[in-house]
Amino acid sequence: MSKEEFNPKILGFLCNWCCYAAADAAGVSRYQYPPNLRTIRVMCTGRLDPAFVMRGLVEGADAIFTGG
Amino acid sequence: MAKAKQKKTGAPAGKSAKTAVQSGSMMVVGGGVAGVQAALDLTELGYYVYLVEKTAAVGGAMAQLDKTFPTNDCSL
Amino acid sequence: MVEAGRSPNIEILSNTDLLSLTGKPGNFKAELQIRPRYIDADKCTACGLCTTYCPRHLADSFNEGLDLTRPIHIDYPQAVPASYFIDPDACLYLQHDTCQICVPVCRANAIDFSQQPRNISLDIGAVVMAPGFGRVPEEALTQYGYGQHPDIVTSIEFERLLNPAGPFEGEVRCLSDKRHPKKIAFIQCVGSRDLGCGNGYCSSVCCMYAIKEAMVAKEHDPECEITIYYMDIRTQGKDFDAARIKAEEHYGIKFVRARVADVIPWKKNLKLTYATMDGVHRFDAHDMVVLSVGLDSPTGARELADITGVELDKYDFCKTDFFEPLASSREGVYAIGAFQGPKDIPESVTQSSAAAGISAGLIKGQRGQGIVVKKYPKEKPFKAKDEPRIGVFVCHCGINIAGVVDVQKVDDYTKDMEGVVYHAQSLYSCSQDAQKVIKEMIQLHDLNRVVIAACSPRTHEPLFQETLKDAGLNRSLFEMVNIRDHCSWVHANEPDKATDKSMDLVRMGIAKARHIQPLPEQTVPVTDKAIVIGGGIAGMTAALNLAEQGFQTTIIEKNDKLGGHLLDQRYTLSGEDMAGYLKKVTDLVAENRKVDVLTNSELAGLSGFVGNFSSVVRTGKGKKTGEQTIDHGVIVIATGGREHAPVTVLGKKVPQSDKFITQRELEIRLAGQGKNRAPKSVVMIQCAGSRGDDLAYCSKTCCTQAVKNSLKIKEINPASQVIVLYRDMRTYGFAEDAYREAREKGVIFIPYSMDKKPGLSARGSKAEVSFHDPILQDNVTINPDLVALSVGTVPEDTAELSKLLKVPVNADGFYLEAHVKLRPVEMPVAGVYLCGLAHSPKPLDEIIVQAQAAAAKAAIPLVKGKVSVDPIVSSIDKDKCIGCRLCATLCPYQAIEMVKVDKKPKAETVVASCKACGICAAHCPTFAISMGGFTNEQITSQIEAFGEALEEA
Repeated sequence: MSKEEFNPKILGFLCNWCCYAAADAAGVSRYQYPPNLRTIRVMCTGRLDPAFVMRGLVEGADAIFTGG
Repeated sequence: MAKAKQKKTGAPAGKSAKTAVQSGSMMVVGGGVAGVQAALDLTELGYYVYLVEKTAAVGGAMAQLDKTFPTNDCSL
Repeated sequence: MVEAGRSPNIEILSNTDLLSLTGKPGNFKAELQIRPRYIDADKCTACGLCTTYCPRHLADSFNEGLDLTRPIHIDYPQAVPASYFIDPDACLYLQHDTCQICVPVCRANAIDFSQQPRNISLDIGAVVMAPGFGRVPEEALTQYGYGQHPDIVTSIEFERLLNPAGPFEGEVRCLSDKRHPKKIAFIQCVGSRDLGCGNGYCSSVCCMYAIKEAMVAKEHDPECEITIYYMDIRTQGKDFDAARIKAEEHYGIKFVRARVADVIPWKKNLKLTYATMDGVHRFDAHDMVVLSVGLDSPTGARELADITGVELDKYDFCKTDFFEPLASSREGVYAIGAFQGPKDIPESVTQSSAAAGISAGLIKGQRGQGIVVKKYPKEKPFKAKDEPRIGVFVCHCGINIAGVVDVQKVDDYTKDMEGVVYHAQSLYSCSQDAQKVIKEMIQLHDLNRVVIAACSPRTHEPLFQETLKDAGLNRSLFEMVNIRDHCSWVHANEPDKATDKSMDLVRMGIAKARHIQPLPEQTVPVTDKAIVIGGGIAGMTAALNLAEQGFQTTIIEKNDKLGGHLLDQRYTLSGEDMAGYLKKVTDLVAENRKVDVLTNSELAGLSGFVGNFSSVVRTGKGKKTGEQTIDHGVIVIATGGREHAPVTVLGKKVPQSDKFITQRELEIRLAGQGKNRAPKSVVMIQCAGSRGDDLAYCSKTCCTQAVKNSLKIKEINPASQVIVLYRDMRTYGFAEDAYREAREKGVIFIPYSMDKKPGLSARGSKAEVSFHDPILQDNVTINPDLVALSVGTVPEDTAELSKLLKVPVNADGFYLEAHVKLRPVEMPVAGVYLCGLAHSPKPLDEIIVQAQAAAAKAAIPLVKGKVSVDPIVSSIDKDKCIGCRLCATLCPYQAIEMVKVDKKPKAETVVASCKACGICAAHCPTFAISMGGFTNEQITSQIEAFGEALEEA
């Protein structure tokens, strides 16, 4: 694989009730998607302190994904 | 157990109906959405439930539905 | 459904037939036979390997025969029990003694051909029958060409076509040549309202599901042209009419009132012949024709009736009493769902709760006798300073994970991580033997945190937490990493990257685990009393049911006497005496020591939360007003409704004349003794003030009421001329029989449309009605003796109470339930329940059932005696809290209260109301709020671990 290819590391915050459930459903249905996402489960995206997003970027994430 | 029951039947008829050990269990026949809901509510109300289903799995017709109106929730 | 599978107090007996039922309420004995499934459900992991090896094909009945499956299969992945089974009629081994390929294929050794049918006998207190509905007779389908062309399908087949798990993965395609249909026709009333096939009743649900299917099909392909051919569109349910309007106006679905004569294959298409109201025959070509099939009585209803000894009605549904809608002819045996009569999901679910409540009341002495209450060992003492001793278990899930992810590598990866003292792999970590291993390892290595890398915490966390509790660990000391649903299943073609992702996620999980603290199990005690607001039939029924289950209940009625809207009703459609019934119920309330009644009273204030409400009730008027406080655990709203008094009817002011009366007034007149109480000529105007006229919605009961009064008039004076002007006659369910009877007795039913509204006027002492007759194709003017307006139902004032209880109302002023389908009698605020006309307009039998259901649901927290709270709720550090109230303002569940500590305002969590969303914690300016299981520290450590993993890569 060429090193030039952009291969972002994405940090995701997923709501337990919707997006995390949807990610489970994607698995059950065997939908294939790129393996660039690393996820953290929260009970609701309302839990997201903006500080978490900043911290994620500081730690080297190319993008932050929130699903809720 | 059997002995205990025999003793009970020896009691006067009127009384035995009351004193005979009543069952704390319920039976729900049919494992569709109605049956499953009834079973869940019965356990919540403090009873043990036998959920009897003809086929291999509970769910009934509702499991076949794609979406339900109006929220379009997945029917599972 | 999954909940039922998980409950320790529900034993699911699948593949089981009822053989006999003997005994009496409280002491029934049931004999059952369990047919073999040839697979040990405890061992089966639902991996699906067996199905791929099974050599024989079989039509998939779950997909309505539209797809293929194998004799060894599972209907759908989420089935409960989640175990495959073997169809004995199709299996090569069971039929021909060959094959057995599946036996060595199964890695869990779950296949067992030695299983035999097994008979068991059960002692039970009561029986609830919910066998569902059956299929309509074949001739109802063949008259529209079903079977002659593959593109004529039933609505259930069409439902499977729409489903992503269906035969074309959710794409709507013609079964003939797989093309996308551009023109679809729905034919309504197939197997319903049709004496030809023996089903004279209306199935009640087909109009609504046809509209739903049409809308979903339009979403799949907006270009597709869809026409629904109907007799009457019966969308009488709550907010259903709004969907019908949306279907027409927003989605462009066409509605044509017509009788379809036949459907004939015509080149590639299907030619549909239909007759409209004016008597003209028309033709139209469609790519696909969907038959909206009705609900028949369940298959085997007669056998079931023989076995259980209950009587059936003439259509083979269970015979029940109008005033006791769920009671079958055998005491202690209740019928619910479609077996009690065709109905939709919310009504079925309502009946389920109602039946649960009634049967619970029947044997309340045995409450709690049979249930299993699990005991756990005492929790090991835990010190915050204790070094984390983490145990990691990486699951293979058969080949589900190990087939993609390098489990060995993930396991090795955890070896040197800080705090990890034990790590291992397991083939199926959810299996019973794995739980034993986990428990042993917790004890052997003195683990104080457990991380399991397997599937989803949403499905499996409770299982593993049970294991932790069994091992004496607090269940919160647990973290799950999802390397199946989020890794192996979705990155099946990139095993290396899936392994990398798994390692990252495990690292993040372990990082979080180091910071996990035990959380206390919290429970809140409950005051085991109820209040019911509203003393109409709904309120009284709910109160009597709560009393029957053993709970003291207070009815709060604003008027000086009980009865509500039923005080104005005289007789039912089938002629039962309404006043007599009302008197009976009112007497029962008066006699019952567990029911207190406060008339001339209303709720003036409310505080507290589920289990611990405190209400202020104001009684009397003016100077005599008194107030009292009642403590209670739950509230049932039954504030009822009344007949609407429309300002305008059909767009114009109601004529001021005694010739114009409402259906309620007509009923009182007909029930009286007056000589001329049945006038010589009557015109009834349906939807007078409803469905977009004065009120936006359909009031559900007026069509049946009009038919009821028409029949009464004909009974008193057969020579009376009765004309009913209607938009759609909504005599759903068995009321259709009465509608037919009315027509047979000479009542004339004439439809009108909104662009040709009837005109109403009063000239002197005469009433005048002019309308367009679609059969004559001409305008007609008549002067009837009486005009009866079907004016609909409005809720009693809900504005004030809804604010007091903090519960929502819909646009029409009716209370809005928590979930229209699955939680129809619960309000979004915990501990508040709803029934009767305050929910939506409905007939008496439905009100009774709904009240019974609300009582059953309301009894649940009272039975439990305590409300338990998930330990993941928020907790507030009062030292750090500065009392800014930001969290209290933001909380969507009113779960934060302001209290005074040393005269300073401080926030406090109402644990019973908290849903753990964390909005408060995210906004607290002083970081005083912590979320159990999702602390700042834990989430930050996960983010850090994410960063560390990046550095490694």
